[in-house]
Amino acid sequence: MDTLTTPPSNDTPRGSLACVGMGMTLGSHLTPLARSHIEQADVVFAALSDGIVELWLQRMHPDVRSLQPYYAEGKSRMVTYRQWVELMMTEVRAGKKVCGVFYGHPGIFAWSPHKVIEVARAEGFAAHMEPGISAEDCLYADLGIDPGRLGCQHFEASQLLFYERRIDPTGYLILWQVGLVGDLSLKRFSTGPAYRQVLVDVLSQDYPLDHEVIIYRGVTLPIQKPRIHRIVLRDLPNATLTAEETVVLPPAAPLKLNLAMRERLMELDKAYSVA
Amino acid sequence: MSDTIELLNAIGQDATLRHASADELAPILEQAKASEALKSAVAAGDSSLLFEELGHKPNHAPQITNAPGHEEEEEEEEHHDGDHKPHHPSEPDHHKPHKQ
Repeated sequence: MDTLTTPPSNDTPRGSLACVGMGMTLGSHLTPLARSHIEQADVVFAALSDGIVELWLQRMHPDVRSLQPYYAEGKSRMVTYRQWVELMMTEVRAGKKVCGVFYGHPGIFAWSPHKVIEVARAEGFAAHMEPGISAEDCLYADLGIDPGRLGCQHFEASQLLFYERRIDPTGYLILWQVGLVGDLSLKRFSTGPAYRQVLVDVLSQDYPLDHEVIIYRGVTLPIQKPRIHRIVLRDLPNATLTAEETVVLPPAAPLKLNLAMRERLMELDKAYSVA
Repeated sequence: MSDTIELLNAIGQDATLRHASADELAPILEQAKASEALKSAVAAGDSSLLFEELGHKPNHAPQITNAPGHEEEEEEEEHHDGDHKPHHPSEPDHHKPHKQ
């Protein structure tokens, strides 16, 4: 009988990646599955919006590496995000089980988690994203907005300046990162009133200058209250605003009936004997 | 003195405590032997008072890039990096100033 040869050892661990959301509020939002990913990882990378939340994360794993030090004023955020991707991929390639922890939802307003998952999969590693409670989720709850009622458009504020976008003032308009609107350099963490005035000029094509604007910031610590500040559009340039604040414009006009489509639907109902 | 992170975690996951007023939380924190910093932060409604105990680590939130031109830069890099060679990330810029 031929001697059976031992198959090559497959003991080398295969790296893997999970990008999970921490939710917004310490203690309140972390899902059991996201926590499990953190606890079972070999190494955890953290991009969180609050240093105290980062301390909380450090209680869950002995090797939490903050991604925050890679940010710097005057350095393109794009460079920072690419560094984050490479930091995580270096450990994945080394056979580690890697968990990237991002505040809120890891796939919303976040370039690196999507990119690192794409790179990991392209290189044959298992990689996936685990959702978290986002700032958007908190906004709906705290402001009492149901996006299904009148519709809701979301834009990173600079998109309205860099590109020609169509705003629908019959629904809610939610603008993210207004505090650094118009930053072409990607090197700043805030712009200023002159930049916000350009945004107001764009918005004034669809909204009156005395239209209500809500400045909102959700809570990251459970002892905080959300910031909900109501002003009018013309005062937006000089309002106190950081990159973490979100600007909400309620509808400025009623929904308009689409008579042609309603007529067509009634014809269909007749044809299908629904009416 | 109780551990402040643990107390914040406990408040965050308790339906009564999470939405309790400062007045309602005060005796509970007293009983739990909360730190002076936590008690002050709750009483004043000012979480920055926790920095004295936990340190202040200003974190940046923006993670989106949206500027025309930078996408092309990315495309270009992808062409160069098509061989998927391992990269070695550079060190963080500890020397550069940070801004909240």
